[in-house]
Amino acid sequence: MSRKSLPSKGMLIYFGVCTLAMVWPGALIANRIEPMILGLPFFIFWYVAWVFVLFVGLVIAYRQEAGEEVDDE
Amino acid sequence: MSDSVIITGLTLGYLLLVLIVGLRANAGQSSSLEGYVAGGRHVGLLVLFFILGAEIFSAFAFLGAPGWAYGKGVPALYIIAYLTLAVIVWWLIAPYISRLGRRHGFLTQAEFLAACYPTRGNLLGLFIGIISVLAMIPYLTIQIAGAGMLFEAATSGIVPFWLGSLLACGVVAAYVYASGLHGIGWTNLLQGVMMVFIAWFLGLATADQFFGGVGEMFRQIQQEAPEYLTMPGAQGMGWGAFSTAILVSALGCVMWPHIFMKFYSARSERTLKRVFVLYPLYSYLLIPLLFVGFAGIVVLADQPLDSPDEVLLTLVVKMADFPAWLIGLALSGALAAAMSTAANLAHTSATILIRDIGQNLPIGRNLPEARVLKLTRGGVIVISLAAYLLALANPASLVSLLLGAYGIVVQLLPMLLGALFWRRASRAAAFIGLGVGAAVTLYYQFLGGSPFGWHPGFCGLIVNSALFVAVSFASKRQETRSPADALTSG
Repeated sequence: MSRKSLPSKGMLIYFGVCTLAMVWPGALIANRIEPMILGLPFFIFWYVAWVFVLFVGLVIAYRQEAGEEVDDE
Repeated sequence: MSDSVIITGLTLGYLLLVLIVGLRANAGQSSSLEGYVAGGRHVGLLVLFFILGAEIFSAFAFLGAPGWAYGKGVPALYIIAYLTLAVIVWWLIAPYISRLGRRHGFLTQAEFLAACYPTRGNLLGLFIGIISVLAMIPYLTIQIAGAGMLFEAATSGIVPFWLGSLLACGVVAAYVYASGLHGIGWTNLLQGVMMVFIAWFLGLATADQFFGGVGEMFRQIQQEAPEYLTMPGAQGMGWGAFSTAILVSALGCVMWPHIFMKFYSARSERTLKRVFVLYPLYSYLLIPLLFVGFAGIVVLADQPLDSPDEVLLTLVVKMADFPAWLIGLALSGALAAAMSTAANLAHTSATILIRDIGQNLPIGRNLPEARVLKLTRGGVIVISLAAYLLALANPASLVSLLLGAYGIVVQLLPMLLGALFWRRASRAAAFIGLGVGAAVTLYYQFLGGSPFGWHPGFCGLIVNSALFVAVSFASKRQETRSPADALTSG
């Protein structure tokens, strides 16, 4: 069985950072109302933004892996 | 009065549309068990995306989530955080599950784990099957009860609770019975698109109607009740409780049987990964629904609600000056959330009931496939009926007791990870970890307050993983492959 390699180290760190940003202690630094961005209090904007950051990371990871693999399907 | 008639008519129209789409999905598909349960392992990007979306966004999205924002404030963001982080867990393990399922013909979660950790008479498979069904029925009951409540409130009682839940439950049971996963797929696509549009429209319209915009709304909350806009929120949810709730929900999300089993149904591993890339964006669906909850903080400041979960209904149906057709659409969107989840729950529970429980009992062994398929479809009706009756009886204490069963399902995660990635994973260690982890979770959930206010499931997971690792190292197992890899080489 040809085992596909696990995600790269860089990707795992990226995932770790996204996780920490959304829980204690990472989210502590965002715990305020000002500045409001796009009409949202900063703490709410923080979560909206990190969802997007993870999305971008997944796009990059997908493209990386798609470049390495051809044996799918 | 005429308004209520318009609302009722619109909603019945929506139900009819879902029923037609669901029944028509049956056309032209072969009637194999794999087709009925896993869409022949050939479900594509678009449909799988909306199935996974529908499974996560339940009645809770339209009732509970705005309720959290209204009652507590920003701690409601835990929902968005865990949904986003759950994708990381899926990304890391779902491709393996999909591949092994295809290779060994697995259709359920219990089959996978039971194959990795074989037991005499397949006791593990039977145990997981029973616990899973116990965990899913109350969840299904909540969807059906939610549908009934929505109907009654939005039609001003023209459609009473018992009839509303019966309609929703009946439509779901009919198309799941007839079309299996294909029916779920196409109806979830329809309902998912509806939900996205309706949620955003409602959120923005509510902020606009009461405040003249989202920014204005938050400015006003900042002046009148700023404690809602930062942690720990209005009711003081600590960072420990907040963070562990996020982590345990994100980790546990993969263990819900109805989600886990969908990994088998993907057309390919690449399809799965494409779904996951897009998936975080689905959590933006919740943002406008949280807006509605936040609006309630100011709008209902003088007359607070007893039950925060009613905040969306109260604002949209009673307080706002919305036209009847908009309320009808809002009701349809909320019903879509409840019913699309209910369909998946009924389908998965029925599969588990027959395949993991029935077929592991002496009377159920060696049944021909056609008979199993027939029984599974019958199971859909039985499970739906049971959940409907539970919703009518409304035994809240029973529901909360059964939710403890899900606490146990989450404790299967360490042994799953061990099976996939760890060659030293030992069977005895997995069982000890599972047993003690489940006991710790149940203890903190029902008897004692957990340390630091942490989520009971999180405490269980820590003890579970620690024991699993320690006992595995202590045992003399000298394998070169993880249990899942060993399956392949025999």
